[in-house]
Amino acid sequence: MNLVRAELERLTARRFVQLMVVLLLVAFAVTAGTTLAGSHQPSAEELSRARAQAAEQIAQLEAAHDRCLAIKAGTVEPQEHDYVPKDCAEVDPGRMERLPTTSDYLSGVFVFATEAKPLLYFLIAFLVLFGFLVGASYIGADLNSGGVVNLLLWRPRRWAVLGAKLGTLLAGLLVFSAVASAAYLTVFWLIGQTVGYPGPMDGSFWASLGVQHGRGMALVLIAAAVGFAIATLGRHTAAALGTVAAYLVVWELGARLVLQILDVARPDQWMLSSYLGAWLSGEVEFWDRSACQGDISGFCQGLYTLTWRPGLAVLLGLTVVLVGAAFAAFRRRDLI
Amino acid sequence: MSAVIEIAGLRKTFHTLRQGRRVAVDSFDLLVESGQIHGFLGPNGSGKTTTLRALLGLVRADAGRMSVLGASSPERLPEVAGRVGAIVESPQFFGNFTARRTLRLLAVAGGVPTGRVDEVLEQVGLRDRSEERVKGYSLGMKQRLAVASALLKSPELLILDEPANGLDPAGIREMRDLMRSLAASGVTVLLSSHILAEIQLICDHVTIISRGRRVAYGRVEEVLDGFDQHEWQVRVAEPERAVELLAQAGMSVTAHPEHLLVAGVDDPELISRTLGEQGLWVRELIPLRPDLESVFLELTGTTPHPTVPRQVDGSIRPPAGSDDVVIDLDARESQEVDA
Repeated sequence: MNLVRAELERLTARRFVQLMVVLLLVAFAVTAGTTLAGSHQPSAEELSRARAQAAEQIAQLEAAHDRCLAIKAGTVEPQEHDYVPKDCAEVDPGRMERLPTTSDYLSGVFVFATEAKPLLYFLIAFLVLFGFLVGASYIGADLNSGGVVNLLLWRPRRWAVLGAKLGTLLAGLLVFSAVASAAYLTVFWLIGQTVGYPGPMDGSFWASLGVQHGRGMALVLIAAAVGFAIATLGRHTAAALGTVAAYLVVWELGARLVLQILDVARPDQWMLSSYLGAWLSGEVEFWDRSACQGDISGFCQGLYTLTWRPGLAVLLGLTVVLVGAAFAAFRRRDLI
Repeated sequence: MSAVIEIAGLRKTFHTLRQGRRVAVDSFDLLVESGQIHGFLGPNGSGKTTTLRALLGLVRADAGRMSVLGASSPERLPEVAGRVGAIVESPQFFGNFTARRTLRLLAVAGGVPTGRVDEVLEQVGLRDRSEERVKGYSLGMKQRLAVASALLKSPELLILDEPANGLDPAGIREMRDLMRSLAASGVTVLLSSHILAEIQLICDHVTIISRGRRVAYGRVEEVLDGFDQHEWQVRVAEPERAVELLAQAGMSVTAHPEHLLVAGVDDPELISRTLGEQGLWVRELIPLRPDLESVFLELTGTTPHPTVPRQVDGSIRPPAGSDDVVIDLDARESQEVDA
């Protein structure tokens, strides 16, 4: 416990951490400021007009569905512009993921329900970067400067020292990320309430936002642990940055190109970014061009899906392997 | 006296891609007993710091047995770590922290009462500068802080690697006084340093290492005595005649422009009587005792050459098993020839 206390103080006193927090606050302020400047509270007239437009749009969708059913039943003759799918359920408004709402027809108005997710994605992206860099520099700088040696002279238990550092990092980051995201969303919710439009915020909206937030927090912790582990293995912060840069250039860009040239099936499933996207958004669809090769039947969609489960498994698996390797290496390593 | 540090047969080899295999320490033994101020000497790259790091569990030994305060190292080191204060080379501290904060954090991490921080700051002379950031400290001040961190635990054993590094003359003297007062209060001190005169002044025992092997150990006087050739510097009015008289009396005499060098004489009275009986009065008779520096240079083969720059690994590598109190001079000469 004493070790964790000392580590927490060291972590929060790091200049780099303080700089990243300031950057986050600046980005936060700029986003909130521009949102405030570009939004206004809709007047009663604007709201009324938007509601009418949304209702009209829904009515048109329902009419199109009814017409589809009628065409299928043979009671109505199809016109040239009619879209008649194989199954009219495809155009059934009741089955649509999302129906037009009032907020879709408000111009120059910040709508919290619509913007919350993109805003949260931005925050998660920043926190992932923050977590990775802080994780890598926290241990990298200590290994490089001899700070770890100093600590080991006091507590000659290598796993306990490294574990305390990693545990403190992850716990501190989780608390910071949770507080930052709560403050961030609250500010934009208030903007929506005061100089914008809240939009439809039912239970499913909050549940969906909560799930996205949870996934984002997990990703922040994974990024921090990976940065920490690579810097431990490489004994330097730069090792983590170099590894990620090399991975992105060599594998995500170079190997992707080579796999495409070689016509390898489903190259996306070999890329970490695919699993990262799948975890964060729940699922992602990729086009498999090899699926339609030789298909002469006509329509071939050739899509395949990666869901959050394999996404989480791959990301967690990678993290466990890297962290395990870092602990094993640190236990045996000569600290000179 | 009980053994506080025991190292037997320590061997450590480093492997690097560029330089391949390098034996840093080989069959090395060290014994430090309770209450000693033990000097640990060796040329650059001789394996001093590697030995200390191995003892403190920072590098893994390939072979050998080590114990600290009766606990085998590194396996049982955590049991005694609270009683051992150590600095290895120049420790790095977090530049943005003040000295006080640095020590307080170490105290918190090590479960030491934070009230001890002020005491050690006072002891090392940093009391009035303790609220300044460490990055603004001079090398000597950082060294004082390092010593303070080692003292924080009120250790029974203090292991200091180059504690006088960067200290000004007054600081060196203060460090010497501090070591003495610690030893007087029962703290055992293992002191690694290049300032040989300082070691000679402070330490009662010494171990000398050269290229990973022990070349001498024992009480400082014993090690020096082993190199004492009982030489005397003599000044007389008629040196030519004095050479003749002393040689006739069976003494080994070498004439130098300003003085005579008489060797192999235990009692200086023999010199003054031999000359006095023939009416030659001695103007000056100075005993030439070896100091630690000359013994060190002799033992490690690192005496500077006037024209050839000495290389770091150019010191003597003694054969295994030749590590008792003082190496035989003939054997050493033959090693130099081999090298």
